Amino acid sequence: MRRRRRKVLVEPPAHATGDIAFNLIVFFLVCASVQPDSGRPQTLPSSETVEEDKQTENIEVAISRSAVIVNGDVTAKNQLLSRLKPLLAGKSTPEDKVVVVKSDSDTPYAQWIFVTSIIDDAGGTVTLKLEEEREVIIPD
Amino acid sequence: MKLTRRKTRAEVPSMAMGDIAFNLLIFFVILARASDDSHLQWTPAKVSNLKNAGNATVSVLIDKDSKLYLNGQQVGIAELANLIEVELGDAPQGKRTVLVKIHSDTLAQRFEPVIEAISEAGGDLVHIVEEEQE
Repeated sequence: MRRRRRKVLVEPPAHATGDIAFNLIVFFLVCASVQPDSGRPQTLPSSETVEEDKQTENIEVAISRSAVIVNGDVTAKNQLLSRLKPLLAGKSTPEDKVVVVKSDSDTPYAQWIFVTSIIDDAGGTVTLKLEEEREVIIPD
Repeated sequence: MKLTRRKTRAEVPSMAMGDIAFNLLIFFVILARASDDSHLQWTPAKVSNLKNAGNATVSVLIDKDSKLYLNGQQVGIAELANLIEVELGDAPQGKRTVLVKIHSDTLAQRFEPVIEAISEAGGDLVHIVEEEQE
C-alpha cells in the first residue's frame, strides 16, 4: 500500500501584508529617485552681448527639416563636425566663437539638438537667430 | 477610605501600524505628483556625449501634443519667463539650472520661444535627452 504524504499549507501571516506593501513601495520609490537625469548643458549668450557688426563675421548655420547649411554650403550631418572644427580653430575670443543658428519653423527638435550639440562639441557657442514679431497699429 | 481610580490604558494598535504608514506614504506620493512631470508623455531626442544634469528646481516640458508645462503645471508661453524668474529667485550662478524636456518631434516655431524665455529669465539650460547608441 502506498502512503500519501501529508501536505503542509504555509500561508504568509495576513496581518503582515501592510508591512510587506509598505516595504515594497519604499523600495520602488528609492529606486526611482536614485536614477539621475542625463542631458546636455547649453549656454546661450544674451542678445545684448552679440554686437550687430560682429554677427556678419560669425559662422552661420541654417537648419531645416532635411538639410544643414553652414555658411551657405549644404553639409551632410556626418560631416558637420569636420566642417565646423577648422572654421572655429582660428577663433580665440568667445565672441568670435559664436555660431548663429537659424532654424526653419518646421525643423523638428531632434534635428535641432543634434546640430547644436555638434556645434558645442566643435567648440562653438550657439546663438539663436529668431524672427521678431512686431505688432503694427494702423491709425484710423 | 481612599478609592483608587482605575486607570484605563489606551494604546495604538500595533497591528495597524503598517496600514497607517502605507496610507501616509500614498498621501505624500500623491502630493508630490502634483508638482512632478513624470506623468506627462514625451519622447526624448537622442544625442551623444551626455553629462549628469545635476539638481534643478525648475523643469520645463513640451509634451507630444506641444503643450507647455512648468514643473508639471500647464502654462502659456507669454508668462513663462516671469514664472521661471520667480521660481529661480535670486539663486547664484551655477544653481539656476532649468531642465528642458522637449518631445523629439516638436517644431522650432514651438520650442525656440521656450528656449528664448528660459535664457531671458537667466536660467542655465540643460536639455534632457537620451544617449545615442552607436
